[in-house]
Amino acid sequence: MNTAPVAHAAARVVDAVKVYGSGDTEVRALDGVTVGFPAGRFTAIMGPSGSGKSTLMHCAAGLDTLTSGSAAIGGTELSTLDDRRLTVLRRDRVGFVFQSFNLLPTLTVAENITLPLDLAGVRGDTEWIDALVDVVGLRDRLHHRPAELSGGQQQRVAVARAFAGRPDVVFADEPTGNLDSRSGAEVLGLLGRAVRQMDRTVVMVTHDPGAAAHADEVVFLADGRLVDRMQGPTAERVLDRMKALDGARSDVPDHPTQGVPNTQGVPNTQAVPNTQGVPS
Amino acid sequence: MTSASATARISLSSLRAHRRRFAGTFAAVLLGVAFLTGTLVMGDTLRASFDSLFAGATSGTDAVVRSADTITTPGESQGARGPVDAGLAARVAQVPGVAAAAANVQGLGQLVGADGEPIGGQGPPTLAGNWIKDTRLNPYRLAEGRTPERSGEVVVNRGAAETGGLKIGDSTVLRTPDPVRVTIVGLATFGGADGMSQTTFTGMTRADAEKYLTPEPGRAASVLVRAGPGTGQQELVDALTPVLPKGVEAITGEASAAESTDMISGQFLDLFTTFLLVFSGIALLVATFSIHNTFAIVVAQRTRENALLRALGAARGQVVGVALAEAAVVAVAASAAGLLGGVGVAAGLQALFPAIGFPFPEGELVISGLSLGLPLLVGIVVCLGSALLPAVRAGRTAPLAALRETAVDQSGTARSRTVTGLALAAIALATTLYGVLGTPSIWLAGTGAVLALAAFVVLGPVASTAVLRVLARPLGRLRGVTGGPGRVRKVPPAPRRLARTLAAPGEGPSTSSTRACARHAESTHQTPQGPPFGRTARLSGRDLAGRNALRSPRRTAATASALMIGVAVVALFTVFGASLKATMDQTVDRSFAGDVAVSAPSFGAGGSGLSPALADRVAGLPEVDSAVGLGRGVAEVDGAGRQLTVTDPVALAKGLDLGEVRGSLDALGADGLALSAAEAEARGLALGERTELAFTDGTQETFTVRAVYARPELAGDYVLTREAWAPHRGQDSDTVVAVTFKDGVDAASGKAAVERTAAAYGNPEVQTREEYAQSSAGGIDMMLTLVYALLALAVLIALLGIANTLTLAVHERTRELGLLRAVGQTRAQLRAMVRWESVLVAAFGTAGGLALGGFLGWVLVQAAQGTGDTDFAFDVPPVQLAVVALVGLAAGGLAGWRPARRAARLDVLRAIATE
Repeated sequence: MNTAPVAHAAARVVDAVKVYGSGDTEVRALDGVTVGFPAGRFTAIMGPSGSGKSTLMHCAAGLDTLTSGSAAIGGTELSTLDDRRLTVLRRDRVGFVFQSFNLLPTLTVAENITLPLDLAGVRGDTEWIDALVDVVGLRDRLHHRPAELSGGQQQRVAVARAFAGRPDVVFADEPTGNLDSRSGAEVLGLLGRAVRQMDRTVVMVTHDPGAAAHADEVVFLADGRLVDRMQGPTAERVLDRMKALDGARSDVPDHPTQGVPNTQGVPNTQAVPNTQGVPS
Repeated sequence: MTSASATARISLSSLRAHRRRFAGTFAAVLLGVAFLTGTLVMGDTLRASFDSLFAGATSGTDAVVRSADTITTPGESQGARGPVDAGLAARVAQVPGVAAAAANVQGLGQLVGADGEPIGGQGPPTLAGNWIKDTRLNPYRLAEGRTPERSGEVVVNRGAAETGGLKIGDSTVLRTPDPVRVTIVGLATFGGADGMSQTTFTGMTRADAEKYLTPEPGRAASVLVRAGPGTGQQELVDALTPVLPKGVEAITGEASAAESTDMISGQFLDLFTTFLLVFSGIALLVATFSIHNTFAIVVAQRTRENALLRALGAARGQVVGVALAEAAVVAVAASAAGLLGGVGVAAGLQALFPAIGFPFPEGELVISGLSLGLPLLVGIVVCLGSALLPAVRAGRTAPLAALRETAVDQSGTARSRTVTGLALAAIALATTLYGVLGTPSIWLAGTGAVLALAAFVVLGPVASTAVLRVLARPLGRLRGVTGGPGRVRKVPPAPRRLARTLAAPGEGPSTSSTRACARHAESTHQTPQGPPFGRTARLSGRDLAGRNALRSPRRTAATASALMIGVAVVALFTVFGASLKATMDQTVDRSFAGDVAVSAPSFGAGGSGLSPALADRVAGLPEVDSAVGLGRGVAEVDGAGRQLTVTDPVALAKGLDLGEVRGSLDALGADGLALSAAEAEARGLALGERTELAFTDGTQETFTVRAVYARPELAGDYVLTREAWAPHRGQDSDTVVAVTFKDGVDAASGKAAVERTAAAYGNPEVQTREEYAQSSAGGIDMMLTLVYALLALAVLIALLGIANTLTLAVHERTRELGLLRAVGQTRAQLRAMVRWESVLVAAFGTAGGLALGGFLGWVLVQAAQGTGDTDFAFDVPPVQLAVVALVGLAAGGLAGWRPARRAARLDVLRAIATE
């Protein structure tokens, strides 16, 4: 049934348009984007502030709905699903890693990891989860509460949670945004290993060229349009491309993206690692 | 800009921004104040109405001549007064300054309505008397028909006629208590109303009144006197006093009217208002908890804001001022709204009462300064007082807290709290037990009860942690409630554990690195250690609900405390009511030896009692072995009024089980009496010794103790023969006739025979032993219903508090809820999670309330047992208490409804993004 231009896509959007507001306050966050995220690959979405990269991710992941166009996870068209089916799809087939960890403070590490499975009322693959725990290196922290962990550890819990149910695709929204460079590199390394060693699919939104360099491919957005794709990125090439994009749109008024956090173009001085030299 | 105006500006803008948060507080204060205001206004209005009613009705009476002797028995506000010689009227009329004087013959007479049922008698008296010809002296005015001229003709007050479906020309029976055939010839009004409240009045000819209402002609209850022109009331009294015989006094008409009003106030109004005041107090106490909780949460949620203020240079006092100013605005606004509401309630009741058959006297609402000032003050003090601690805590916010991610709740299970709480509980228990079991003292027991309440409140947070863990556990094994679509294996479904996530203020979403908070994670290690994912129990939504409820023990406990107090009072009354019933059952069971009882309405002193002839007639039936009537008398013993049981002592021993009897009941005669063993011991009287009784007619007589019996429950402490009582009696009546059947007579036919005989005596009720016990308990059910209705308000306020706390919790956990939705929690699961948390909190409050209420009920019963001479039974009614528990839980679910719906409506993206 998949007649989309991109074959073997774990997730894709076709002619995606997302409009916030109306009339004078209308903002076109996405303006006809068609992109597929191939299975078994690590894709980064980059773009200047207001380019629509977070919106693209939210719509592709079923957290938000498109104004027009279509979005699909695996072969399932999202626009045909009601809220409950969409929730179940997110639960069973999509994983999330957020910038601010978003762990539940009352649950232990182990419980946080299995949360989506518990919500579904299934046991899941215990061997797989056991292996995940070792990969993220949290075996000795399983019965701790998030408040007892460092930021990096918390984000590793979030990564484990995202992969726990073996989803079709894991979406990561600025996963290193709140981390120091070392913790950030650890998390990115985890995401990369999950793709390459465990055959998972990851889509990551970032504004950090160093983080993007961990991906297999980078797609560039500007003003709600797909403007470029780059295979085998390095931090330098990504940075150069971003500078070009910034220059090209310097005369364009800034588009605030409503309701979407942390999309500032300015690098987060506290959390973002140095932009050079993390080889892919 | 001065600092004060800055404070005010911040407060107001914050109030505007967070209107919804204070909606619950506003409602709690409003309801409490409205209840209080309504009670006070109603009380004043009723009192004023009765004042004007009596003043109006008796305005033509300038002086009342009556016996000076009065005997008041314990538990009765109105003393028994002896009669005066009716001939005094003629003598008084000769005194200079007197325009007219009329003897007022008065007694009890209960009319039988058109349907055969007696009219009234459920509290207010059923009076009968002579129709005084002097229209200005007669407090009743003829409204229709004519005055009674011949024997058997009567005038009745219009209210009674309407109640009984009687009209002029109708013939009916008047129970005096001997049935008298009467014909209604006129209808009367009292002070412009259809009657004196619910009191019924039947006016007859002087001769009839003397014949039926007094033991012998020539006696009157009082003589009413009207002054001639130019003579004042006091002048008249001064003129009368010298001519009156010893033991007779004169008082002014105004004083008499005031006494009547006071009597009604004492018997009914004071009780009524005190009762309502107690319950508005409970409602306000419950409100205090809810309000305190709301402010505490709001302050916790605003830690960053306050810290920022402090960092920017706001003094501690200014931060406190901001918080208090907010509370003050809410307090004044809600109290003022409550005043309006209260006056509205009073006006509504005034309109409603006549509709439900309770004639509320006409008149304007009386709104005194006190009934406005007091509730306003109480409302403001309650609200500000509740906000004081949270405000002080706000002031203590460290400026650094602005940099931290979220407030950390440090309250809860501090050791000092546990120690204080346990110490309080120990003192409470010791005091109570000593007051109950040691030297019985209501005061000690009461102090203990108050201390127990305090201990419960202090221990609440500690207990909540333990109790909720237990409560949350069995819930986890249930399934299917959460609406989780997936299969559920052995794994407890998700929403349970999720719901645990909901109740804490402090531990917000943890963003920054957070070893600082590590100490907070006290309740961490409940998941069993061991192989991580092999057999580890998985979490469910109710799990989450439980953990949420555990997040802030203090908040949870405070929320639950409000409900706990409400439920405790409900449980207290339920247990006490059940114990009273059990006591009556036990009394009847132990002391009533008969097969059936013929009784006048036992709740309330109303009605005219039973004809003394009835017992003899029933005793003559072929089915009946013995029938004994018990009448009542009063006498003064050692200066204190005592009730006497007037009866045939020999038959009494057959109808009642008196226990062990020393001496002989056969030969009490006219100068002997029988005493209960307890009374004999208390007064140090042995068989054969003598004691002196003083009667209302002013005479004193010496009696010999001829028998001492063990069980006083039905027989009372003093038993006299009818012949001993006869010289001192007024209107003769029995309160109950105990009937024993002959062997071989079956209960149904025996009862039917007694009923046939009784029908001729105004149709009193014939009851089997069980029915007799139950009818004694009927008043208790009535009281309980009223109490439950009044407590509904307190429980409502408590539930508003739970809903409010949950709403605030949902608000502060927006991000977590968003995350749960993002990773796959369905709306139904989320709703279930929030509702479960509500149910858990309610379960905690209900359980605590039942325990506390049960304990206090036990204390009350024991205290009553210790101070009275009746043998009290303690009874815990399992069914009623289970209903209370279920209602508490269901109400908890209901309280969670709106917060759950609001939580489920959250937009996932916005929720995640919320900082």
